[in-house]
Amino acid sequence: MKTIIKFFLFVCFSIFITSCERENVLFPYAAMNVNKNEFTINESMIINFTGTADQVVIYTGDDMHNYEFRDQSNTGFVVNKGLFTYSYALPGIYKVVCVASTYNDRAVNLKRDTCSFIVKVIDDQTEIEKISCPQVLYDEVFADKLENDEWLMKLPRKVKYGNATPSITLSQKLRFYIQSNLTKIFINEKEFSSTEKYDLSNPLNILVQSNFGTVRPYKLYTLYYPEFVTFKLLNVNGTLVRNEFDYSTFEMQIILPMGTDVSNLIPEFTTYSSTDKVYIENKEQISGVSRVDFTQNITYTLVSSLLEDSNIKVMSTVNIKIIYQ
Amino acid sequence: MNKILFKILTLSFSLIFLMSCHDFLDKEILGNSTDENFYDTQYKLQAALNASYDVLQMDIFNECEWRFGEACADDVWGGDEGLASQMGQLVNFRFNTSNEWIQNRYMINYKGIHRVNQVIANAHRVKLSVNDYSSYKAIREIVGQAKFLRALYYFNLVKTYGGVPIRPETETVDKFVIPRSPAEEVYAYIEKDLREAAIMLPARYMGTDAGKASEGAAIALLMKVLMYQSTPGVKSDKWEEIVRLGEFFVEGRKMTFGDILKYDASKEDWENLRKRLWFKPRELNTLTDPYETPNTELPALQNAYSLEYKDYYGKNISYCDQFFQVGEFCKGSIFEIVFKESADGSTGDINEGTPIYDNHYSSSPQIWTTADIIQELFANDPRRAFTIGHQQYAPDGDLCQCGPGRYLSLKWYTPLKDRPQYAGDNGKNRRLIRYVEVILMYAEALNECHEGARALEQLNKVKAQANTINNSGVLYTGGGYGLMRDQIWKERRIELCFEWDRFFDLVRQKRAAEIIQTYGSKRANKRGYYFRKGVNELFPIPQSEIDISNGIVQQNPGY
Repeated sequence: MKTIIKFFLFVCFSIFITSCERENVLFPYAAMNVNKNEFTINESMIINFTGTADQVVIYTGDDMHNYEFRDQSNTGFVVNKGLFTYSYALPGIYKVVCVASTYNDRAVNLKRDTCSFIVKVIDDQTEIEKISCPQVLYDEVFADKLENDEWLMKLPRKVKYGNATPSITLSQKLRFYIQSNLTKIFINEKEFSSTEKYDLSNPLNILVQSNFGTVRPYKLYTLYYPEFVTFKLLNVNGTLVRNEFDYSTFEMQIILPMGTDVSNLIPEFTTYSSTDKVYIENKEQISGVSRVDFTQNITYTLVSSLLEDSNIKVMSTVNIKIIYQ
Repeated sequence: MNKILFKILTLSFSLIFLMSCHDFLDKEILGNSTDENFYDTQYKLQAALNASYDVLQMDIFNECEWRFGEACADDVWGGDEGLASQMGQLVNFRFNTSNEWIQNRYMINYKGIHRVNQVIANAHRVKLSVNDYSSYKAIREIVGQAKFLRALYYFNLVKTYGGVPIRPETETVDKFVIPRSPAEEVYAYIEKDLREAAIMLPARYMGTDAGKASEGAAIALLMKVLMYQSTPGVKSDKWEEIVRLGEFFVEGRKMTFGDILKYDASKEDWENLRKRLWFKPRELNTLTDPYETPNTELPALQNAYSLEYKDYYGKNISYCDQFFQVGEFCKGSIFEIVFKESADGSTGDINEGTPIYDNHYSSSPQIWTTADIIQELFANDPRRAFTIGHQQYAPDGDLCQCGPGRYLSLKWYTPLKDRPQYAGDNGKNRRLIRYVEVILMYAEALNECHEGARALEQLNKVKAQANTINNSGVLYTGGGYGLMRDQIWKERRIELCFEWDRFFDLVRQKRAAEIIQTYGSKRANKRGYYFRKGVNELFPIPQSEIDISNGIVQQNPGY
């Protein structure tokens, strides 16, 4: 019996001793793997914690997360289950610090270990997302993106707004939409200014330089939407009516005497450029030559193209409306 | 020896005795509800649907709705914007992937999906006691509402996190980890649910059924889902379909089951579809039962809703009454989260939903707006009068004690006469989809489809209705695409302000970074200034989901 009691006491003592093990805090070991050391802005950095710790915190080194300033309100991120992901908003060289800590049951005897590495973040943004002419009455005229980093700005000659019809000149301010604020733009070798007006009658050579230093050339062409300067039927001048909702659609109103036969007329018209082409359903129309049956609904398509590249073109449509009086 | 023998016998006997209990203990307990036998009647399926609606009423669902939809955007300030709190980190866009609100929103919407999936997956277990048309219709409507709710929950997820895992309708323990589907697939899944819900549900529920998701709710949400998939300034089939849906909803143009479903006979047999969606099978139809085909017209919605400020019975009410108890299920309301008065407002006895209203209209609101924002938002619009400041009086004479410099929207106010005996809110419903938004979505789609004149007509219908508040004659003017678009967006901001949708609206308009950063640069604490274009339009998948899936669920770019 005594032997049993002794054995029982020994077991109890062993359990008691074992249960005190946590009083001796394990020493933490900070170690981590990172997927790479150089990133672009907003690219994910993936860190795997491979050390030993009860708690892991990572200071990413950027604004408000700098380990050196941890006593000045800079904070780190708590890491869950050993995986941490992050990305940087600004380019720079950042010191990433991993703090591994252990502690006992009552959060005393805190022990720490740290490790760190340096990451380089570059901003190599040279992509133009949009180009607009912000002062064409309203910032709503955006250039079309063509191939090979070429852009085409299509402008109306006039816009209708309420009772006014202001003219739009080819001297315009420009607005560039680029993801990074650090990217620089040069127009015809001079740094871009949002307050300067640019002469759009000639193509603009644009250079976009990223913060990292990469330079990318672009070209901006400008064309007006083509429209009739004059349009006559039976020597009666038509009146061009603009559409306040769409700069590429017009209506030509012509007042003719009641009973006029319009089934076989030869209209006379002029356009702003001698190279402008005029079509009805893909058939080219020549002023003073082509015959048209105006008893049908007639829509002219006008095409204006660049002198140096006829593939770059702008189209507009003109519906003919005959009013009998 | 005898003692040892006795012990051995006793032990053996005990073992035999215990083992003999095996069958008795294993006996099946009769009467237990399991997922195999629970859903056997319409009423039990309805109970499961009620549980799916219940998620919409949960505090945490609504707490997440305003935190993401309103507090992250530029119409409000908040009382918790310090970087030390999870809420502060969220609205400053300085959070990490373990942020509790990011996790809460993910979790609560999946809770809704899990409950709804049980309704949809188990509907086939229902045994009809009578094989008549109305029995099929009753089940069809339950499943249709479930589909609407599933679409709503997934829409919340996809607009917050991008592509998310599409959970199987029947979950199994060996397949808990589901990878993310691309956002396009999630949107397609949502669209399918809404298109099917639209043909399964009546135009509008009335009487004691008011509050259930109807065909109107399904089509309105479908329009919004299509709009979120479209890019302003880029022509697409989605914009064109919103125009067609707008013509149906607003102008009474006819639309068939085949049109809304985009029915393709080569992909699914019509009879199969009818059976799947609980239309009465052809072989069981009696002579008097209707038989729905792809050419069957959808129930018209043109006169089901109205821009006019009229209550459920058609009686005139004021603009703000639309958001009060008197305006529940009013003519301009398409879908509401229903709360019911059941408590006296004393401590510990408050109505469900009361915390929502306390957070937005009380002496210590969580978010509020300011005089500057009001000026920018409303200028001279008559709806400005419904946002009132500290020490100003609500229309019924109640003093607003929200704190100096703070302004609150009366959309979250409980009139004195409606309050419970002691304090708080009367359990009034939260308006989730309003008819005015249908008109504004229709107008925006028209403008995107180069129908500026028609867009202006719809836009001015909304403005003209608001003008009835003070007999103003100010209307929007015609102009190019950009002017029209921005006028529509301006009207959206005014009419739908403080209804918890501003942030997501800015994101889908592709101008969240520009607006929120500008807003942040004006604030002393720079809240919003750190919004990162190309990253923060989507929130991260909660870190815990990445961890438990061992990386199968992938994180969003930039996190």
